[in-house]
Amino acid sequence: MSRKSLYTLTSSQKMMIFVLSMSLYGLSNMFTELIPSLQLGPIELSVEYFAFIPLTLCMLFHPFYAAVGAALGEVIFGELMLGQFGGLGELEKFLTFSFAMYVAGRIVRNPQNRTQVGIAVMTGVIIHQLCSSLVDIGKVWIGVEEFEAVPGLAESVVLVEGVSFLNDVLFSGILFALLPTLYLVPRLYGKIEPLLGIKPREKSTRYEAAGVVSPKLVLTGTLLALVAFGAESLSETDWNFGEWDSGFAEQLGDGAIWLSIGAAAVVAIIVLLAMRAKKARAAAQAGDTGGVPHA
Amino acid sequence: MELVRNWFNKLSLDRIQLELMNTAYGSGHASLSRLDPRGLLIWYLFFAIMPWFVNSLLVLAGMCLFMVVTTILSRVTPFIIFVLCLGLIGQVGWLFVISLFFGGDISSALPLLKLTLKLSVVSLASITVFSGMDPEKISDGLLALGVPAAFSFSLSYGYRILPVLFEEFRNVLLSYRLRGKAPEHPGLLYWRKGAYYLKLLVYAFFPLMLATAKRSRTTVEALETRGFSYGLKNPAAKKLKLSHLRFQTRDVLFLSGSAAYVAVLFWFG
Repeated sequence: MSRKSLYTLTSSQKMMIFVLSMSLYGLSNMFTELIPSLQLGPIELSVEYFAFIPLTLCMLFHPFYAAVGAALGEVIFGELMLGQFGGLGELEKFLTFSFAMYVAGRIVRNPQNRTQVGIAVMTGVIIHQLCSSLVDIGKVWIGVEEFEAVPGLAESVVLVEGVSFLNDVLFSGILFALLPTLYLVPRLYGKIEPLLGIKPREKSTRYEAAGVVSPKLVLTGTLLALVAFGAESLSETDWNFGEWDSGFAEQLGDGAIWLSIGAAAVVAIIVLLAMRAKKARAAAQAGDTGGVPHA
Repeated sequence: MELVRNWFNKLSLDRIQLELMNTAYGSGHASLSRLDPRGLLIWYLFFAIMPWFVNSLLVLAGMCLFMVVTTILSRVTPFIIFVLCLGLIGQVGWLFVISLFFGGDISSALPLLKLTLKLSVVSLASITVFSGMDPEKISDGLLALGVPAAFSFSLSYGYRILPVLFEEFRNVLLSYRLRGKAPEHPGLLYWRKGAYYLKLLVYAFFPLMLATAKRSRTTVEALETRGFSYGLKNPAAKKLKLSHLRFQTRDVLFLSGSAAYVAVLFWFG
């Protein structure tokens, strides 16, 4: 019973889903980067993204590989190739986007049920936009010293982010996620899967979720929450690095300089250690190369 | 109105393709791109994290100046700089204007200026490193620093597959246009025409999805016949792939020069 309904894929099939999702969403991202937005004051009507592509693929295939592939496609085609790569900032986008798409894909049990598909699409879009709005607010929070002291700043940040959240959910979300997905999923169902040598999903299909994703997902979630909490409590206690830094400069004179150089050295050492650990682990794993090869 | 019409006149698929290809494949000749990618990535990591912990205006301004110089050295296309400036001014400018409504005054400008400086240091650093460098070098550098090999594979694959994908998308779009009928009147602010093209853009992904599914199957089959996933996990293969990376005098000079400059900044700040 459980053997029959478990949705297992070979590593090549996982790779196919990954490549398919990456190239399609990446291509669409190049277009959406070029479509101009209609700016009405602070309110911006823009085609944020063609979310229907990863959403459709997540519903038809294994959502994890489709979601990660799409997020990576955005980073590569939409950012790196157009020369707009934001470095570390992309990490946050990558995580929130792949998480939201994965959740949307998991909600759907039967791809031919339109209500389910519609609910899943809106949930995915809302999760993604909510996460990215919160991160944006947090950026201003951390970036501006004495955030509370500047009158009107807190309200204006929330207002700007709230408006852009509503725009993205209502405009992009309905026009470029909900409607196209409702059009595409029933049409592609049963047609696109055989091209990759995969059986179409059925109501009874279950994913091999526990082994593949959950620990990683929980870990990242907790880590992100901790970082967010840490940043917030830091700003609550008025103990930010800037004051600390200048205090040092008064007390120790040149101490502040060595502090900064020390920070650089710490970053370098951490990177070097990470490389070492990686190398050691790779050497340890050299014996059993027969495991899951990629993605 | 005029702006919209201009935009539509300029918008032809050939032009977009040319522009994209130019941005994507036109890099790799800058002087900074000859440096070792590992050193550059660590350099970037410092300038992407450090500004968030600095509040001195002088230090931030000095860092920003340094970033401007390196950005010029890396010969970025003006288009990217333009997009960056627009984004920065748009984001922070509106915050300022709206904070005036909520009872702020001109004194809110200074903290926001610092925020702008921080954001520009971070984004200029990323532009310097990532748009001036050859993508192959970026992917090798990331691989050496321990980023999963799937990423560097995807990067190389993306650069190779883009022209093919674009050609295919163009053909699908053109066939839709041949069979369809464009609206006779463009409508107010060209909304009818815009909506028509956006709709085509979405519809075109239906056949494209099926075609790409076939293509990705072929790709993966071809990769597997050459032992791709075995080589991906094999440390010996990785070592061979990265053996061409080495630190040279110019890398050491660049990194120590940057460190000295930052130290001097902190001395004065």
